[in-house]
Amino acid sequence: MTGDLDFERLVDLHYGALYRFALSLTRNESDAGDLTQETFLIWATKGHQLQDPAKVKAWLFTTLHRLFLETQRRQTRFPHHELDEVIDELPPLAPERVDRLDSLTLVELLGRVDPQFQAAVALFYLEDYAYAEIAGILGIPLGTVKSRIARGLAQLKHLLLKETGASGREAP
Amino acid sequence: MNREEAKRILELYRPGTADARDPEIASALDQERGDAELQRWFEQHCALQRTLRRKFRDLPVSAGLKASILAQRKIVRPEVWWRNPVWLAAAAAIVLLAGVASVWFRPRGPDRFTEYRARMVSTALRVGTYQMSIVTNDMAPVRQFMAARGAPADYRLTRGLGELSLTGGDSLRWRGHPVSMVCFDRGDKQMLYLFVLPRTALKDPPPSVPELAKVNKLLTASWTEGDKAYLLAGPEEADFSRKYL
Repeated sequence: MTGDLDFERLVDLHYGALYRFALSLTRNESDAGDLTQETFLIWATKGHQLQDPAKVKAWLFTTLHRLFLETQRRQTRFPHHELDEVIDELPPLAPERVDRLDSLTLVELLGRVDPQFQAAVALFYLEDYAYAEIAGILGIPLGTVKSRIARGLAQLKHLLLKETGASGREAP
Repeated sequence: MNREEAKRILELYRPGTADARDPEIASALDQERGDAELQRWFEQHCALQRTLRRKFRDLPVSAGLKASILAQRKIVRPEVWWRNPVWLAAAAAIVLLAGVASVWFRPRGPDRFTEYRARMVSTALRVGTYQMSIVTNDMAPVRQFMAARGAPADYRLTRGLGELSLTGGDSLRWRGHPVSMVCFDRGDKQMLYLFVLPRTALKDPPPSVPELAKVNKLLTASWTEGDKAYLLAGPEEADFSRKYL
């Protein structure tokens, strides 16, 4: 994967997914573009060190996530509001009302989920990665991934309910 | 496993994936098949998962991103100066000096300019040298190149930079803002990089008097002049200011 053509093919295959992952994390188009570019820039200089071509995609996602964490560490942290994540107490969400939401609004809502859970939830939806693969990309144990996804989904549903009033329950 | 436990496990189930192979989920799916109420819940869960997944995958990708990535590919692996044993020894001395310098050039807290500077320095360090989009020792075509790409073109060179050999340049982007990168040959196989960004792109542009700072492995000078913010980066030299600013 050293030639220009191979590189272009690699970009073709993955830049959309990487950008969407970056956008899910940053919720800012410019920052997402920067992260995606930076990821491929690192690939251009270090990618040759990767022995297994099958791991290229996961490598790119891992690198982008690390870059994101680095930028986060440099930025001022804002207080995070605790969100309710008790699944049992949430009424079911009506998919057809969620369907009316714009994708960018959905990403905005994800941005209000606990930052610890956001990357796991984004990978859960954006790619068909197995939980173990998500664990590998984020560098955390499998059990932690499942826990983060479950808690992140609960928070996201809570926010979706507020945003859409999209309860699937019928009116009494 | 009761119904609520099965629901909790199936919350992690995505239809159309290999999730069903997960032993815990497989067990919950068995439970679901024999429970009518759980089945109704599960159908709605699957519909919601499909909707959410489609929404995430419908996120629009920024126009021009692919072209920007491919433009950056025009990079060649550098002859990295700090891997040379002679320079390695010099670098050790520089690290020592950096301790002293840090007293003089106190680092500022995180803000937008420092992020910009860090990004440009890391680009220069990673790349070392560019197979630039435009390679020339004539500034006029470089300015035309920048102007054609919406990057700052009417930048002003310091007297010191004006005396160096131009090697070329490239247009970059930082947070959606155009950045002109102009490259100079210092004359000793070392490169200097001048980054020019519209001043309005920064919340806290640098002062009008050049400010020196050691960033990562490079020495930088930053200043604002007119409507532009300038950042010069290159290997550290004792008389960096006198020679180039």
